[in-house]
Amino acid sequence: MCDQWKEEFEYAVQVARAAGAVIRKAGECEIKVQTKSCAVDLVTQTDDRVEKIIIGSLKEQFGEGTHCFIGEESVSKGKPCVFTDKPTWIIDPVDGTTNFVHGFPFVAVSIAFAVNKKLEFGVVYSCIEDKMYKARKGHGAFCDDEQIQVSDVKDINKSIIISEHGTDRSPEKVSKIFSTMQKILRIPVHGLRGSGTAATNMCLVACGASEAFFEIGIHCWDIAAGVVIVREAGGILLDVDGGEFDLMSRRMVSANNKTIADRIIKEIEIFEVVRDDAEI
Amino acid sequence: MADLWQDAMDHAVNAARSAGEVVQEALQEDRTVMTKSSSVDLVTQTDLKVEKLIIQSVKEKFPTHRFIGEESVAAGEACVLTDSPTWIIDPIDGTTNFVHAFPFVAVSIGFAVNKQMEFGVVYSCLEDKMYTARRGKGAFCNGEPLQVSGQEDIQQAIIATEFGSNRDPEVVEKIFSSLRSILCIPVHGVRGAGTAAINMCLVASGCVEAYYEIGIHVWDVAAGSLMVSEAGGVLMDVEGGAVDLMSRRIVAANSKAVAQRVVAEIDSFSPCRDDAPLPL
Repeated sequence: MCDQWKEEFEYAVQVARAAGAVIRKAGECEIKVQTKSCAVDLVTQTDDRVEKIIIGSLKEQFGEGTHCFIGEESVSKGKPCVFTDKPTWIIDPVDGTTNFVHGFPFVAVSIAFAVNKKLEFGVVYSCIEDKMYKARKGHGAFCDDEQIQVSDVKDINKSIIISEHGTDRSPEKVSKIFSTMQKILRIPVHGLRGSGTAATNMCLVACGASEAFFEIGIHCWDIAAGVVIVREAGGILLDVDGGEFDLMSRRMVSANNKTIADRIIKEIEIFEVVRDDAEI
Repeated sequence: MADLWQDAMDHAVNAARSAGEVVQEALQEDRTVMTKSSSVDLVTQTDLKVEKLIIQSVKEKFPTHRFIGEESVAAGEACVLTDSPTWIIDPIDGTTNFVHAFPFVAVSIGFAVNKQMEFGVVYSCLEDKMYTARRGKGAFCNGEPLQVSGQEDIQQAIIATEFGSNRDPEVVEKIFSSLRSILCIPVHGVRGAGTAAINMCLVASGCVEAYYEIGIHVWDVAAGSLMVSEAGGVLMDVEGGAVDLMSRRIVAANSKAVAQRVVAEIDSFSPCRDDAPLPL
């Protein structure tokens, strides 16, 4: 089994934990909120600060120039989101910024690493819960020290499905999102849930608490780490149209198995989103 | 001055904690699922076992007290709140979550005298969070005082709600219509833990600004209602009038302003009351 990126993996876990501690501390003080693409797309100084800490720390450890970085806040400030074959870190410093602002208990640091555009490992630190989810390709998925596995439910009527409303409030998109959710609820499924963070939602699929999580509108940094965790826990990733999963497409279905994934995909009303790697 | 109901409250906390241990143990085993009013209204042996344990332990210590328990009512007992000291029990709030090991499962014990809530205990057993509230003495989580959020601007709010277990198309339509109206105010986000008791504790903790639902039962919200009011929040009916714990409708919020703004968007309906006489 390949141990090539073990050092990077272990360092990522350390960095995620340290970043989580910064987030927890920041959550004790008043949080100043700014907005990005719209009134409900929130960002704080903690998001910026934590991303700088993570990237700075990784550059120091692995040398500047040898590795590339795709970070949510760097991209939102204009850095192109370019995914090459080079070793690339894909970072969401605070996944669940809205939750963070409100003290809602799901906030995650998400760090993934890809080489030749293939995801090698992922770390999601749910820092309020103090749960470290991690997975390295070929080595299984873990929550802290316990190995985790997706649910074995094949009957859609016995499933919990996760999705989110996202931050786009444009009427046509909201209509499609709601229509999809309503159809899925009425299959019927056991329930619909959402933690407010894509990274955490994927970990909930990986540990078997939910059978599937799908969303249109997420970004590569929200899900890259979760992709490895779900796969290593025995789950699968697909595009919302049933085709191959594409990390930069901003669309994703993650599920415990193909039966559940296919059944969900039948109900999804697809809408257009601009790819993460589209030219600015 | 001695608190007349302190003994009862201490007993409730102990009973909730013991019940939580039973739930945790049961999570290690297979959870055989049965259904009640519909294919998605779930109950397990653990629900029944825990309710019996709680009621038995209370009867031993307080033989004259009365009970309203979810599973007892499901088995045919009348759901009547008199002036007598009455324990209002949901042995497992979040049974669907429990079945899936989704991380929010609560034991909810409320206590009313002269139809007024005297204390409430909600034990979120997978998080090991013991929420308690005593009338006139505040609300606490693991000993730390709770206070609702100070945010009165609805556009900076997170609202909690649930889809419930009624899959009747007209009901689902109304639920989605309300949800969409609220989301598009716009609010920061809509969340749901999958259990009414925990959703109310999230209001009391300041993590969300309001929680509303039509379709809950008195045992889901009795304890949580005191939690919210003792943390400085307000309770209201979904049409803006006084809250009625038997009506199966509730709005719990940090403030009247937020409550009224939420009420303005709710497409209300009237489920069969908890205290409706049983059909002959």
